[in-house]
Amino acid sequence: MYKYESDSDNFMDEDDEFVDYSEEEHDFTDSEFAMDDENSDDNDTEDAGIAHDDRPRRYAETQATQPTQTQNTFSADAGDFEDDFYGIDGAEFEPVISSRGAKRPWEVDFKVYDPDELQAKQEAIVARMEPVLATSRDATTLLLRSYLWKDEPLVEDYLTDPERTLTKAGVAVDQTRPCIQSGDSAFECKICFSEGSDEEYFAPSCGHRYCTTCYKTYLVGHVLGGASWRIKCPTPKCNMLVGEEGARLLLAGDEESLARYNTNLTRSFVNDRDSFVWCPAPNCKYAIECHVPRSALRTTVPSVACICGNQFCFGCQLSDHMPAPCHLASRWLEKCRDDSETSSWIKVNTKECTKCKSTIEKNGGCNHMTCRECRYEFCWVCMGPWSEHGQHFYNCNRFNEESSKEARDSVSETRAQLERYIHYFTRYNNHEQSAKLARKLLATTEKNMEQLQRELTLSWIEVQFLSDAVDVLSICRSTLKWTYVLAFYMKPDNQMIIFENNQSDLEMATEQLNDLVENPTNHGAIEDIKRKIIDKTTYVKSRWETLLSDTTLGLQENRWQFVD
Amino acid sequence: MSTPCRRRLMRDFKRLQSDPPDGISGAPCPDNIMLWNAVIFGPDDTPFEDGTFKLVLNFDETYPNKPPTVRFASKIFHPNVYANGELCLDILQNRWSPTYDVAAILTSIQSLLHDPNPNSPANAEAANLYRENRKEYIRRVRETVEESWE
Repeated sequence: MYKYESDSDNFMDEDDEFVDYSEEEHDFTDSEFAMDDENSDDNDTEDAGIAHDDRPRRYAETQATQPTQTQNTFSADAGDFEDDFYGIDGAEFEPVISSRGAKRPWEVDFKVYDPDELQAKQEAIVARMEPVLATSRDATTLLLRSYLWKDEPLVEDYLTDPERTLTKAGVAVDQTRPCIQSGDSAFECKICFSEGSDEEYFAPSCGHRYCTTCYKTYLVGHVLGGASWRIKCPTPKCNMLVGEEGARLLLAGDEESLARYNTNLTRSFVNDRDSFVWCPAPNCKYAIECHVPRSALRTTVPSVACICGNQFCFGCQLSDHMPAPCHLASRWLEKCRDDSETSSWIKVNTKECTKCKSTIEKNGGCNHMTCRECRYEFCWVCMGPWSEHGQHFYNCNRFNEESSKEARDSVSETRAQLERYIHYFTRYNNHEQSAKLARKLLATTEKNMEQLQRELTLSWIEVQFLSDAVDVLSICRSTLKWTYVLAFYMKPDNQMIIFENNQSDLEMATEQLNDLVENPTNHGAIEDIKRKIIDKTTYVKSRWETLLSDTTLGLQENRWQFVD
Repeated sequence: MSTPCRRRLMRDFKRLQSDPPDGISGAPCPDNIMLWNAVIFGPDDTPFEDGTFKLVLNFDETYPNKPPTVRFASKIFHPNVYANGELCLDILQNRWSPTYDVAAILTSIQSLLHDPNPNSPANAEAANLYRENRKEYIRRVRETVEESWE
């Protein structure tokens, strides 16, 4: 099982322990106590001992850090949230980051699965539910799938009325196993109308028999169309599902369709569940489990990182937009798609008539403007009325005159808003560009590091400070970028000033670090630079942590008002 | 050449001849079994009564695993039939089952004449009239019925 932390320098190095921990994870809740006995009988492996001893302690740690977090995050809609959070396999879901002891406020628990692990996860859930429902493995799987893996409603319905639950889900009540047979002279396939005792037919539990060739063609057609467990018996009005057992029987030998069928099953397992998403990176095969409910997305930014390196938001699958919550991030991106080009052009090339607010582009001529809409005459330079200008057609020295100032002040609200947008957009864009440059910087940094190693006979570990600095730089750039989005939608008040102070502290420190890394030679001898860079990196990182902790808490406490 | 599809169409044809449902007839083109012409007589007690509506059914080798394309060749004013004669019928799209045969398709279309579904309109005008001005709807349908005799 992959355990991943967003913070690159904090990877666990206790691998052995982790492997143990994960191998047995599905048994954890069930067999925690049973293991006590096992261990006393059979205490030969030390690993088992560690796993056993360690586990309850770590579980307790997680719980100790959880309550405050939970209350803060979800107090607003505790009702919705409980279902989602403690639903289905809450017991099996194990936080990843808890290994550090204390989870940092902005981090959310998540877990990355590869397709094999997803398969194992499904099997584990089925194995857990099989004895509870006392149904066959095939029936249990189908029931779980049709209840979208929500085990509580399933158990409730099933215990109330097993027959109805099975029928509604499309599972045969008698649970006879499907088989392939022949030798019935009365058999006639209602698809191809071949008949007689020579015909081999597929007999599922609903009793609708068709010849194996037709049934298989039917099944493969649906499988290639992306379907898996939702494939029904071909008979119109028969709601019985072709279970996994039957499908595997029919597809036996056809490796391609079988592989496709398995892929479809796993895909629907992830798609059917709210707590799972596929990593949106192209060609990435991993899925991520995270238990942040939809209702909490306005106050939480569930940023997760896939093994493939893609850092993205669990809530909306856009690339990481911490600290701006999903709804603001998507609004901003939408706005940028529509607006940014047009509005920058308007800002650069036009002014508004101070009287009727029409947008005017000056495409030639002198400063004496006559508005085509309202015939108002004014000066392009100072925006004051032309009547006060006398005959000075070609220059304006009246910029500070009272009437000109007033005219400029009256520039419309829309223009002010536009300016505001441009202000935030340029800063947002600047960090985005710088983040791209930071990636290039990484390449040159690697060269610099090699050079340093050669010239000063430093060891590899001694020059790591440079790449650490670049890592911190790019994280900060991404965060800074999105702070401008948060600020753009924030209503100005004292809380916002505190936020902006944090933002500018981080920004200033980031720029200084950037300068140090980019032009190291400007800053003195190598030992000196190294010390400076290490100091600055640490400082920037602590500013970054401060800012994220503060925004995370702020969002949870509804500290800021946002414009609608 | 005999393929599962052609064998099945031959069987469909035999069944349609030996046990024809009321108000329906159909046959493949003499030189092409994949192309069928069919006629549906307007069901009694509906505005379509006495109409003879011609249809064209186009099969390909995926039949009966995939439905044929079906089109009215006669003009027909019906909420679920497009202007070009194509029709909006669940069993010809997502509810298709390989157990349906030509007789089943044609009977389904016949019952669609009986009970139009104005909620998934292919012809918005017909659907609106069907819901709001039944008299005018009937008048327009009768026009197409008369045209179908020509």
